[in-house]
Amino acid sequence: MASKEDILKRYRENVRERFDMPDLSDITAITYPAPLSQFISMTQAVGGNAIEVEKGHDVNVIIRELYPDAKEIASNLPEITIATRNPDEVSCAQDLNGTDVGIIRGEFGVAENACVWIPQAMKEKAVMFISENLIILLNKRQIVQNMHEAYQRISFNDDYGYGTFISGPSKTADIAQVLVMGAQAARSATILLLDE
Amino acid sequence: MSTSHSKAAKEFLKDQKYAHWHDATFWAVRTKRDNMAYGLDEWEQLREKASAIKRHTITHLDEYLDQFATAAEKNGVEVHWAKDAQEFNEIVYDILKNHDVKKMVKSKSMLTEECGMNPYLEERGIEVVETDLGERIIQLKGQAPSHIVMPAIHLSHDDVGELFEEKGISNEKGNHDPTFLTYRARLSLRNEFLTADAGMTGANFGIAETGDIVVCTNEGNADMSTSCPKLHIAAIGLEKIIPNYECLAVFQRMLCRAGTGQPTTTYTSHFRKARPTAHHMHIVLVDNGRSEWIANPEHWESLKCIRCGSCMNTCPVYRRSGGYSYSYFIPGPIGINLGMLRDARKHSGNVSACTLCNSCQTVCPVKVNLGDQIYLWRQQLDDFGTANPQKKLMCKGMSMVYGSPGLYNFGTGLAHWANYVPSSLMDCGLNPWAEGHKMMEFPEKPFHEMVKELKN
Repeated sequence: MASKEDILKRYRENVRERFDMPDLSDITAITYPAPLSQFISMTQAVGGNAIEVEKGHDVNVIIRELYPDAKEIASNLPEITIATRNPDEVSCAQDLNGTDVGIIRGEFGVAENACVWIPQAMKEKAVMFISENLIILLNKRQIVQNMHEAYQRISFNDDYGYGTFISGPSKTADIAQVLVMGAQAARSATILLLDE
Repeated sequence: MSTSHSKAAKEFLKDQKYAHWHDATFWAVRTKRDNMAYGLDEWEQLREKASAIKRHTITHLDEYLDQFATAAEKNGVEVHWAKDAQEFNEIVYDILKNHDVKKMVKSKSMLTEECGMNPYLEERGIEVVETDLGERIIQLKGQAPSHIVMPAIHLSHDDVGELFEEKGISNEKGNHDPTFLTYRARLSLRNEFLTADAGMTGANFGIAETGDIVVCTNEGNADMSTSCPKLHIAAIGLEKIIPNYECLAVFQRMLCRAGTGQPTTTYTSHFRKARPTAHHMHIVLVDNGRSEWIANPEHWESLKCIRCGSCMNTCPVYRRSGGYSYSYFIPGPIGINLGMLRDARKHSGNVSACTLCNSCQTVCPVKVNLGDQIYLWRQQLDDFGTANPQKKLMCKGMSMVYGSPGLYNFGTGLAHWANYVPSSLMDCGLNPWAEGHKMMEFPEKPFHEMVKELKN
C-alpha cells in the first residue's frame, strides 16, 4: 500500500484550486409523450427487434415461432418451459457455448436510447452474451424516459455484483467502418414487451 | 521547416485516394455526432455540467479515490495502486502468475497501451489476446492503434482480408466482405474466450459511491472477457473516477453520442464484484503522471478527457494526416496535449498539427480547452529547445515590420512587385510556403490605400 500513500500525498501537494460540485437537479432532460413507442422505434434504430405480446399469449410459443430451428435454448426463468439449458446449473460458463437462443429478463427500458437494465440473476451471466440470439422479456409498463431516470432506479440482485444496460445486438464497424451486427456477443436482440 | 508531424503526414498523403476516404469517413462520424447533439435540446447544458463535474472530481480525486477503493474493497474486490507503468505491469504480472494464467483475453484499454503492458506480459510467457475487433486486427498485424475508438481505421477491408488469410482466421481466399470477415473473427475469438484463464478490461468510469467500474462497448467483448475466464482484472487511470450514478447519467448520455454518433453503446456494464464461480476481482488504479499533471496551471484540464475521440474525428489536421503522423500513441488534439504533458521535448513535433480552428473544443463533451492548450504549448517551444530557428527568425522579422507603420506601409506598397518574380524561382524548395500552397498574388494597391481612396 506504499504506492497508495505516495500517490495521494503527491496529488494533495500538487492539486491547486479545488472546484465545487455543480447542481445537477436543473438538467432539463428529454422526455417523450409516448415512451413505449419511442422505446420500440429506438430499439429498431439500434438494430434490435421489439414485439408487443398480448395478454394471455404464451411467450414459449412466440419464441418457438421466431426460432423454429433453435436446438439449444438457455434460460433460468420459471416461465420458460422450452429451455434445454439452465445457466444456474451448468458446471461452467463455457458449457453455455453453442446456445442458439438465450432468454433473460429486463427490469426496465429507457426510451431515449433503447437500453434495458439487466441485473445479473443467474449463476453464469455468460448466457446474456454467448447466445447467438438474445431474447429479453420486459414489462411494457416499465419504460423510463432517459438515463437520468434510469440511474435513479437501477439496483443489483443481492447475490450478484453485476448488471448491464443492453441496447440492441452486439455490433462493430471496425473493418472499414462497415456496420456489422454480431461482433463477439449476441447477433440479434429481441425485446418481448409483455402486458403484465 | 517541417515538424515530425508534417514529415509523417507526407507519407500518409502519398495515397491520395485513401487520404480522401479517411477525411470523408471521419467527417461522416462528426456529422453523426452533430445529429445526436442537435437531437437533444439539453446538449449544451449537458456539456456544461459534464465539464463542471469533471473539474470538481479531478480536483477532489484524493477524496473520491479513497471512497472508491473503500467501496470496492467492501465489495470483496482487491484494489491495487500503481504509481507508474512499471509498477502497473508488475502488479498485473504478479496477479496472473499467482493464478497460473497462461492466456489472458482483454478488451480495449488505452491505459495498457500507455503502460506497454502487452509486450511486458508476452516477454514473461503470458499470451495476451485483444478481443475488440479493431484491436485484434492491429495486434495480428503488429501495429499500434491509429485512433482511440477506431484503432484499425488505417486498414482497408482488403488489408484485413489478406491478414486473416495469412493468419488462418479466414478460410475463403479473396472474400474480403466485412460481414464475412467479422464472422470469421467472431469464431476465432470465441475460441479464445472459452480457453483463456483471465480476462482484463479497462474502465470508462469508476463510481466512488458504489465501487462499480463501468465499461461501455458495442461488441460485448468486455462482457465476454469476464463471463468465461475465472479471473477479472480491471485497469483504470486515476482520472476515470466520478462521484456517483447521478454524474454517470450525464457521461453515459454523452460518451457515445459524441464519439461515434450513436445514442448509446450496445452494452453499458457495471462490474461490482466477481461472479460467484470466479476468483475475486482485481482493480488496478494507475497514476503514471496524472498526480503531477494536476499541478500544471495551464494544462490540468486535459485530465477531464473521457476518451470519446470526438476531437480527432472533427480535427481537419487529423482527418488529413492520420493517427500515425503523431509521435504520441494517442493522436489528434487530446493526444497532442497528453503527449506534451508526458514528455514535451519528445512530442513537441505534434503541436504544429493544429490550425487553431478550435473545432475540437467546440465538440468536446467535457469542454477540454484543447486548441487553447495547443496554442499555449507553442509559446513554450523555446524553453524545450524545440522551437524552429527559421520560424524564430521569421517571427523576429515580422514583429519588426508590424511594429513599425512606416516599414509596414513601405513593404505592402512594394509587395505587388513579387508577382513578377518567375514562378520557377518562387515555387522552389527554398520557399517553404510554396510546398502544398499556391503562391498568393499581391494586389497592386495595399488595403490601407484602398480604404483611404474610398473615404475620399
